[in-house]
Amino acid sequence: MKNLTKILLVVIVTALFAGCVEDKKTPDQPINLVKMGGQDMVQRLGAGEIAGFIGWEPYPAIAITKGYGKPLMYSGDIWKEHPCCVVAYDQDWYKQTENADEILDRMALVQLKSVEYINNAKESGSPDHDDLINYSMAFGGMTDRAAAEMSLKDVEFVYSPNIPGTETFISKIMDFNIFDSAKWNQSGYVNASDYANNLITDRYVKWALQNREKDLSSLAIKEPVTIRYGYLVNDIHELPFYVGWQKGWFEDVGINITLSEGTPFQNGAFEMQKGFKTNAVDIGSLGLPPVIIHRINSNDFAVDDARVGVISGMNNEGSVIVVAGNITSLADLRGKTVGFPGPGTIQHVLFLMAAEKAGVRVSY
Amino acid sequence: MIKNDSERKGLIINILSLIGFIIFWHILIVLAREHIFNIPFMRLKDIPTPLETWNALVGSMFTQTYGPGLTYGIIDHIRASLVRVVQGGAMAFIIGVPVGIGIGYSRLIHNILNPIIEIVRNMPPMAWIPLAIFILVTGGSIFIVFIGVVFPIILNTIYGVRSTDARLIDAARTLGASQVQIVAKVLIPSAFPSIIAGLRIGFGVGWMAIVAAEMVIRSPVGLGYFIWNMGDLGRYAEMVAGMIVIGVVGYIMNISILLLEKRLIKWVD
Repeated sequence: MKNLTKILLVVIVTALFAGCVEDKKTPDQPINLVKMGGQDMVQRLGAGEIAGFIGWEPYPAIAITKGYGKPLMYSGDIWKEHPCCVVAYDQDWYKQTENADEILDRMALVQLKSVEYINNAKESGSPDHDDLINYSMAFGGMTDRAAAEMSLKDVEFVYSPNIPGTETFISKIMDFNIFDSAKWNQSGYVNASDYANNLITDRYVKWALQNREKDLSSLAIKEPVTIRYGYLVNDIHELPFYVGWQKGWFEDVGINITLSEGTPFQNGAFEMQKGFKTNAVDIGSLGLPPVIIHRINSNDFAVDDARVGVISGMNNEGSVIVVAGNITSLADLRGKTVGFPGPGTIQHVLFLMAAEKAGVRVSY
Repeated sequence: MIKNDSERKGLIINILSLIGFIIFWHILIVLAREHIFNIPFMRLKDIPTPLETWNALVGSMFTQTYGPGLTYGIIDHIRASLVRVVQGGAMAFIIGVPVGIGIGYSRLIHNILNPIIEIVRNMPPMAWIPLAIFILVTGGSIFIVFIGVVFPIILNTIYGVRSTDARLIDAARTLGASQVQIVAKVLIPSAFPSIIAGLRIGFGVGWMAIVAAEMVIRSPVGLGYFIWNMGDLGRYAEMVAGMIVIGVVGYIMNISILLLEKRLIKWVD
């Protein structure tokens, strides 16, 4: 009995001490970024379990229209017209496909047409507006029309790749020590500019611009090809792909789209590691930072298995920091939990950039 | 302490086995990277070598700050996970021992609680994770540890109480001991070795459960969270280093409770 009492006392004291240690508060507490899925972010903000989240549209719009939170900062406030999602191809697929350039030309053309369609249809007076809202709701997993309208407003759809923006992202990722330094050394890139220029090409978009007025079927590849496409779950940023697919524009140019194994991916890091690296994805859309990070960190440079190339932009901006009603600044989030899609995602890098400007620390 | 030649020999074999495993690990990865050997459906070459893992372990041991980003060191992750295990384990101990004594000693309590415990104890701690996410605002990981630890403690306490020599209880009764005195002076001391064994098994289960819980029930710090995060960043060397740390800490925890057991229960053996 004496021993049991001793153990009981030790256990209680240790547990209490442990609790005190864990709950220790300091004046300069970091904001705690915690990885979670988009639907989880919305639900947990609604339940008051997290103080906010940074997510891609439509999750911010869903949370705001449900009354769970308010926008604290749009990603355009952090970095005006920052590049976001892109269309990328797998280098192994490229090497093994004889007419890869021909296919990529047409992928860029469909992207251009889809972006033009969306940008026109975004206007509420457009005859295509209702169709666009329906596409958004279906692709974004939304049931609320108001959320679909709001999410579309926050995203700028583009087709041009953004090399200077990519360089900035690479520099920031270096500053934040996200690259595996040994892998970076193996890559042989001299600096951010060298890497960005190796990663991105605008040759396919140039071809698309030259052929934008032509009828799609007149540009069809002689022998139709099948492309295994990868995209992110419910990501409105990638709506141009969905529109082009639903409109049958890929088929018009001789490209049959099948969804790759693993699609839709939970985040860009997964798409790079389980999609492109394993050759499950031929062409796909995802955030630019996961492409930048995993082409280095997850790459086996002996065979370059995580090497991808970016052929076009998908969107600029389109992420939002949504917070609970009592939060008015990033500083108010100190010591609190904020949801994000995961390390190495665009939202991760953007949040770090916002924190850098606001002078607050972020743990992840 | 090493007592004799046999133990010394055993220790040498242990060390050689460990060194042999590290060499085997290194050769396997090098062969995979040179495309000499691979296991189908596996990307062995992506596994870091022991040296890469060691470098990653050393590099991520302490908290680092880059710009506004603060990445917790492995030391902080160990502490956070251990704190949760201790908290969950303490709750399990405080609740499990009285429940086990009750069930072991009283037929009525046994009949009331046993059917529930028999069903609930067969639910693995990981199966509770979704429920913990939905019903608990905070402390989900601690709850999962509690589930992992409490049943080994209850079952071992029941076993310990039931293994008590009936003659001791009869003797205490004959001498006029009350029920409380029988429990305190006879049953608990008798069941004590078994309770400690339950605690050790429970902490082992709790340690495994915490890592799984931290992967799903997200918190900013904890070993489960660390290895998942490193995987997301494609930093496999850090990820494997984290896995090894989990194993080493679990081993140390087990040894510590064994030593505690030996120290507290000197009358056994």
